[in-house]
Amino acid sequence: MSLETLWLGMLGLLLAGYFVLGGYDYGVQMLHPLLRADPDAERERRTGQNAALEAMAPFFLGNEVWLVAFAGVLFGAFPHLEGTLLSGLYPLIVAILVGLVVGNAAVQLRGRADSARGRRCWDVLIVFGGALPALCWGLVVGLLLHGVPRRADGSFHLGAGDVFSPFVLACGVTTALLFAAHGAAFVTLRSAPRLAATARRLGAGLVRATGAVGLLPLLLTLFGAGASMTNRVTSAVVAALFAAALTGAWWFLTQGHHVRAFAATSCATLLPVLLVGAGHYPYLLISSAGAGLTVGQSVTDSATLRILSAFGVAVIPTILTYQVWSWWAFRGRTGRRHPSYF
Amino acid sequence: MSAADLARLQFAATTTVHWLFVILTMGLVPLVAIMHTRAACTHDPAKRALRERMTRFWGQLYVINYAVGIVTGLVMEFQFGLSWSGLSKFAGNVFGAPLALETLIAFFAESTFLGMWIFGWGRIRSSVHVTLIWLVALTAYASGFWILIANGFMQHPVGYEVRGGVAYLTDFGALLGNPNALLALGHLTLGALTTAGVFVAGVSAWHFARGTKETQLFRSSLRLGVWVGMLASFFVIIVGQLQVPVLDRTQPMKTAALNNDGVARLQAQFVGQHGPGDYVPPHDWLRIAMDTMTIIGNTVSTVTFLAVFLLWKDWLVRWRPLAYLMTAMIPLPFVAAVGGWVFREVGRQPWIVYGQLTVEDALSHVSTTSLAVSCTVFIAVFVALAVTNWTLIARFARRGPEATQLGATEPLADDVPDSGADGKQPVPVF
Repeated sequence: MSLETLWLGMLGLLLAGYFVLGGYDYGVQMLHPLLRADPDAERERRTGQNAALEAMAPFFLGNEVWLVAFAGVLFGAFPHLEGTLLSGLYPLIVAILVGLVVGNAAVQLRGRADSARGRRCWDVLIVFGGALPALCWGLVVGLLLHGVPRRADGSFHLGAGDVFSPFVLACGVTTALLFAAHGAAFVTLRSAPRLAATARRLGAGLVRATGAVGLLPLLLTLFGAGASMTNRVTSAVVAALFAAALTGAWWFLTQGHHVRAFAATSCATLLPVLLVGAGHYPYLLISSAGAGLTVGQSVTDSATLRILSAFGVAVIPTILTYQVWSWWAFRGRTGRRHPSYF
Repeated sequence: MSAADLARLQFAATTTVHWLFVILTMGLVPLVAIMHTRAACTHDPAKRALRERMTRFWGQLYVINYAVGIVTGLVMEFQFGLSWSGLSKFAGNVFGAPLALETLIAFFAESTFLGMWIFGWGRIRSSVHVTLIWLVALTAYASGFWILIANGFMQHPVGYEVRGGVAYLTDFGALLGNPNALLALGHLTLGALTTAGVFVAGVSAWHFARGTKETQLFRSSLRLGVWVGMLASFFVIIVGQLQVPVLDRTQPMKTAALNNDGVARLQAQFVGQHGPGDYVPPHDWLRIAMDTMTIIGNTVSTVTFLAVFLLWKDWLVRWRPLAYLMTAMIPLPFVAAVGGWVFREVGRQPWIVYGQLTVEDALSHVSTTSLAVSCTVFIAVFVALAVTNWTLIARFARRGPEATQLGATEPLADDVPDSGADGKQPVPVF
């Protein structure tokens, strides 16, 4: 396997990790006003804490960096894709960043508010900061699947018509719903039983909604108005896996298998990344099926790649180890005797 | 305004806000780590509780500051690709590597470990918990190192060759050993420590002036703050001076424009090398930035030097105006830091990679409307965040250790005084 394939895998891993981990953050952010546990309502009123936000709190800072690492590796290993992609998707990336900045700051500073009114303001920003990136990442996935209007020099500009096409919009809504369902599955896994039950019902409904809306891009593609995949067989397999993951998530949520349900929604959130990567390989950015920017054209010089790899061999297992350690250290359901901060 | 001006304004404004948070974050984290270590090594329960409270108080201020630091940092990572795609086209092979390594080696670890430290109170073993904050400190500086390696390449490109209009990395060692980056890292580290020392001393002095009951906690903090501020502000000036010969050698136009000396000769030389154009950075900006740094540096250094002697028998905080003077010094290092940043970056103009690529040529093909919208939104959001954040820091600094939320566990239901409805409550005797 060549170094560039390895780094493409690395890029995919970081983006998939971000979709899974950031995905449940955004889901929890979107759903947190709905996820108040009844018996804890008194406690929530007194302390102003929100049980759903507490469930994700210890992981929150560690989750968001997957995106930063993705951006870093994109720049380091695929600089020629980075410049084209980010400047081409300018309005969407700016929207994602604004959502992220506002949402992240709100999650971290909400607990510092003095009054219920102050907390309500932060709550609005938390929901906004979850919904906007979730929707916009869906739009980005839709655009990457569909292809972008590249010009002769390789750069591209998004027009309103490109973003507001039925396929891209349907991808956006599907992803937002999927992240919400994933967030609900996470709360089911980690919070106290009463709240977990609420989240489970909400999650099952959201998975159904994701499936229903997700049919639209599939149908559009089958009728030739959606994605133009380069590798059709691979794409069909990934799409089938996505459908299976959603079905599994719905089944496990209704049956009360929390761990399996969360595993299933995690699979469902990372499969769109795989679909973009494997469905268009060797292209990273297509203008239409079988035409676009290839891995070879986007990758950095081989000397740079060798240096990055030398570091990567040591650093990447370390990253995975301490991330897993942080999940392990804060495993289990949230209870009373744990420091709450956000 | 042209697209280039808007993109410049957007980058400058967002970086300035980010930078203001970075220096306090980088300066405070070693101090919090020292406090936490001292607490963990103390066996006497009362002293240990006091030191732990001290750690949590300053730790909370640090964490509030970090919240905005990280979100603004998130934006920075994307800005190069958004507005300056010419930079990745020309220098992506060289410039991208340190940025990628920064995220993988430093930022990733810093954020994960800080998350664990925040929520690890009473949950993670004390020795591991202390190690976590040291890892956060270490990775914060590792992050600074890689960012300055990338920035150093823009200031003084080394370890590369240009083939067919694209830069290729040829000597990674030279890139890492760039004197322009390493001296700047030293200067920045000491500047950050000065900022934090003055901040800690200023907040502690304020509490003394207000007649705090937490004299032990704030005396200990005041000592740490004044000593760190004194030592760091002394050496920050020296390392600052050490950079002058490097600048003379690597960026002659910067020093020429600063001193208004030999500008015409260098301009003619640049025109000869790179074709017609204006290669002179604005003299006034450089002069004002440099003077701000020098005046503030010397002031802070002198005041903290005297303050060290006045620590004896708390003379520094016995007389209120003197205590308030320490508090009033808090903003000064921030102003100086912005001055330093302006000097470094404005002095590089019109180049984005010195002598290789101009800022104008690196601009992405993004419409002026998009840039105007994003610039307005980013500036509005960042300014709002900065104001909110400083309000919160000021609020929690004022309230003192009593109001610290960091590391506070939810009291068990039994600990909470009930309304008296249950039979266990003692019945008042009339």
